[in-house]
Amino acid sequence: MDQTYGLFLYAISLLTMGGIYSILALGLNVQWGFTGLFNAGIAGFYAIGAYVSAILTTAPSVRHLGGYEVPYVVAFIAAMAVAGVIAWGVGKICLRLRSDYLAIATIGIAEIFRLILKNETWATNGPRGVSMVPKPFETLPEPYNQLLFLAMILLTVAVIYWGLERARKAPWGRLMTAIRENEISARAAGKNVERYRLQAFVFGSMLMALGGAYTAHYLKFIGPNATDPLTATFLVWVMLIVGGSANNKGAILGAMLMWTIWSATEILTSRLPDDLAIRTAYIRIFLIGLVLQIVLQKFPQGLLPEKRQ
Amino acid sequence: MKILRKLALGAAAVALMASSAQAADIKVGSVGAVTGPIAELVAAIMSGRNLAASHVNAQGGLFKGDTYKLVLGDSACDPKAGVDAGNKVVNVDQVVAIVGASCSGGTAGMVQAVTIPAGVVTISDSATAPSITDLKDNDLVYRVAPSDAYQGAAMAALIRSRGISKVAMTYANDDYNSGIAAVFEREFKALGGTITANQVHEPDKPSYRSELSTLARGNAEALVVFAYYGSSGIAIIKNSLETGLFGEFFAADGMFDDSVIEQIGVANIAGKLSITQSASDPEDVSYKIFAKAFTAGGGNPNAPYVTHAYDASFLMALAIEKAGSADRSKIRAALRAVASAPGEIIRPGEWEKAKALIAAGKDINYEGASGNVDFDKNGDVGGLYTVNTVSADGTWKNTILR
Amino acid sequence: MIELINFYIVPGLVLGSIYGLGAIGLTLTFGILRFANFSHGETMTLGAYFAWSLVSILGWHPLAVMPLAMVLTVVVILGIDRGFYKPFRSSPTIMLVIASFGMMLMIRSVIQFFWGVQVKTILPGIQLPIEIFGLIRISPKHMVIVGSAIVLMSAVYYLLKYTKIGKAMRAMSDSPELARLTGINTEHVIMATWIVGGSLAAAAGVLLALDSHVQTLMGFKLLLPIFAATILGGVGRPHGAVIGGLVIGLAEELSTYPWIGETPLLNPGYKAGVAFAIMVALLIWRPSGLLRGRTT
Repeated sequence: MDQTYGLFLYAISLLTMGGIYSILALGLNVQWGFTGLFNAGIAGFYAIGAYVSAILTTAPSVRHLGGYEVPYVVAFIAAMAVAGVIAWGVGKICLRLRSDYLAIATIGIAEIFRLILKNETWATNGPRGVSMVPKPFETLPEPYNQLLFLAMILLTVAVIYWGLERARKAPWGRLMTAIRENEISARAAGKNVERYRLQAFVFGSMLMALGGAYTAHYLKFIGPNATDPLTATFLVWVMLIVGGSANNKGAILGAMLMWTIWSATEILTSRLPDDLAIRTAYIRIFLIGLVLQIVLQKFPQGLLPEKRQ
Repeated sequence: MKILRKLALGAAAVALMASSAQAADIKVGSVGAVTGPIAELVAAIMSGRNLAASHVNAQGGLFKGDTYKLVLGDSACDPKAGVDAGNKVVNVDQVVAIVGASCSGGTAGMVQAVTIPAGVVTISDSATAPSITDLKDNDLVYRVAPSDAYQGAAMAALIRSRGISKVAMTYANDDYNSGIAAVFEREFKALGGTITANQVHEPDKPSYRSELSTLARGNAEALVVFAYYGSSGIAIIKNSLETGLFGEFFAADGMFDDSVIEQIGVANIAGKLSITQSASDPEDVSYKIFAKAFTAGGGNPNAPYVTHAYDASFLMALAIEKAGSADRSKIRAALRAVASAPGEIIRPGEWEKAKALIAAGKDINYEGASGNVDFDKNGDVGGLYTVNTVSADGTWKNTILR
Repeated sequence: MIELINFYIVPGLVLGSIYGLGAIGLTLTFGILRFANFSHGETMTLGAYFAWSLVSILGWHPLAVMPLAMVLTVVVILGIDRGFYKPFRSSPTIMLVIASFGMMLMIRSVIQFFWGVQVKTILPGIQLPIEIFGLIRISPKHMVIVGSAIVLMSAVYYLLKYTKIGKAMRAMSDSPELARLTGINTEHVIMATWIVGGSLAAAAGVLLALDSHVQTLMGFKLLLPIFAATILGGVGRPHGAVIGGLVIGLAEELSTYPWIGETPLLNPGYKAGVAFAIMVALLIWRPSGLLRGRTT
């Protein structure tokens, strides 16, 4: 195997994870960017999607629920449906809270979901997680299996992007912006603000669940550590803010860019001498934080600011 | 999508620049949870792996003087990071094989999604989940750390042999500790023991007094703790002693560290704590060689899984030398050949001797610091266990379990 | 009953005091700077590490070095404010939240880089509890923790109630526009907020280290319960934060008491969820907190 081919494979993996994060960032963009809902519980919906899809597609196992072995498409739809129903319930109760309060409530709810997934061992194998999750196209030879999986992810991103762009320009999108910018006048115009907010929250959460489902199949494994809020909630926020809130292209750019920084910085630090390499693993996280601060200060609107109509 | 392409090209360019610098190295991935919840354990594990590499390089290196180079990857105990780290070392660094990863979850992700499809051999030094045995791995996944299934049984037998029949148990809610706890529970009952209470606990809480109070209700003779020493183990034992609820403790190797004695105090813990550990006989020659070298470098040879780390790393070098070239596909057969009999016995640090024997076409059999490292058909090793107790002078006294 | 007091209520109060100290700082930054500071947990960790270093250099008791650790932490926090939060004074809240998230990663990795990841201890050995009235058993270090917390909280109470800067802080928290109109120097108030919040966070870290140990994720693990305490007490209400801390601390411990039968009421695996459940319930039922706090 030569170097170029290896880099090609690494690029595929970067784009795959970047694509999955793009789906999450687009989902968050629906909630925060368009509607102004501060959802800090991405990890919860991500985890629900991942576990539902994993459990529905794996072979029978004594360690967790399973053996349904449904087709992938059905599992993806189920993951989104379950997350959608739960998001509807959460939204019904929480959406009247504003900004930071909504953020903290959603963090709390997401952590409760994660605790349930971690403690209900009969269903999820608890902290040990669900292993041997099948991966679409995995029976095909290298690199076609990876390419097709990537194509599936990127196609999903493209479809979501296309749909969101249409929605943004449609009356629905303009109404969302109106609600975000000036709720009182939207109300005065006779619009049912709660209903539109709930729509955005449920739809965004369903996208997050889809991102989670793809992750479970991509990793072929899902466990509580994979849904840690650090990489499943906060990193997504960073991506959206860096890329440009309320701009769908920005969400995708932010996801791809931040994931590349997150992943590729290690290629540099791992080249240092042994004892230094371990210490610089900590400094890598420091650099990620610093890059974030610089982008925030230089591009307060994100790299691609919102386009006003 | 133009942006995406640019990004990919940019990343590729960076990687290319960085990797072309050291072409003469024979690279092996060294993947572990350097950051994340068990960072304190992994720091020591990494020095174990690096020590083996320095032994190889100090005694002639691989083949005709090539450097045995470990490339670090951070799996952060998170399957996402594990897969990403695996992808980087396999594809960007083009490693021959991998030592790692650390947590069972991170390992399960990495081997299933990356290394098995890519045909790269991995030896884990600390992933102990029984589920790793079941993976369809094309004989590519090995581990020198025995499956929890063995340690749980060894511990149950130890406790029964001390004449104790009633224990309470508590385990931290993570992949490692919950796995070993489940095995222990089953085995202890099978040996006729009674478990008066079995409770999970959430790690990283400052106090466990309330949990201990409920655990103590069944008049158990001892408390069995499955936890990492840092995140909850020490706190549980401290709290038990302070409240007087339990006076005797058993623990698995995630608890084994000098800081247990340091933090609790010799006088308080001497003779009260027994920790089972997967290790070789402390009187064993291989272990002594390793311990001497590791201590000389400022390490603590008793830290959890450092012996396994050394063995995994050294064994990988032997397998590469035996394979005769940095060809991924040849490692698997070579690994089985160097790890077990027949052959002349090679011990930690004996790289020159091993190299000469391999060059002469003779068989070798590595007997590691952690045990004989003979792989079974699943790529697992059987466990040899020691029990460590705290002596009055503040040192660990270890005896082998039979 | 005695068991309930010794093993559930006393640990709950100790934990609650630590939560309370942490929550005061968080509620002040939340109220005055108007953002949820994600790096607050790391501030606590930093305080504990400073104390550990001072103990190993000077060889004093942890309590004796605590004021020094507080000062060092405050110096760092003021520097961070200047470099990373000040540019966003007039930006939307979200920018500060994301900046504090970045800060969390940065402080944590600096700690890991300089001090390493090994667990450290600040007060080795165990302490046997002392009996009071032949009933209540409480260990000396727990009395120290609760005592220190009471002293610090009283100091904050005095500061906010009777000093000029304290009154200005309260005014800022209640209504920033009004405060600005009355000629309060915003930057001074912000500085005072960081000094109070940072030093209390450092103190909470040291007290936590006294009870358990020093570890790089120790503060981060407390962040969410402290958020819960902040919300519970009403944002911008320091005495509310103290009550919130105590309630959360007690609720966590009491939720695992075997109220019915012999097994814990709640599986201890869910213990961490208690704080969140209370917080969510309260947000829905009474969004402004137990004591009326700022609403948005």
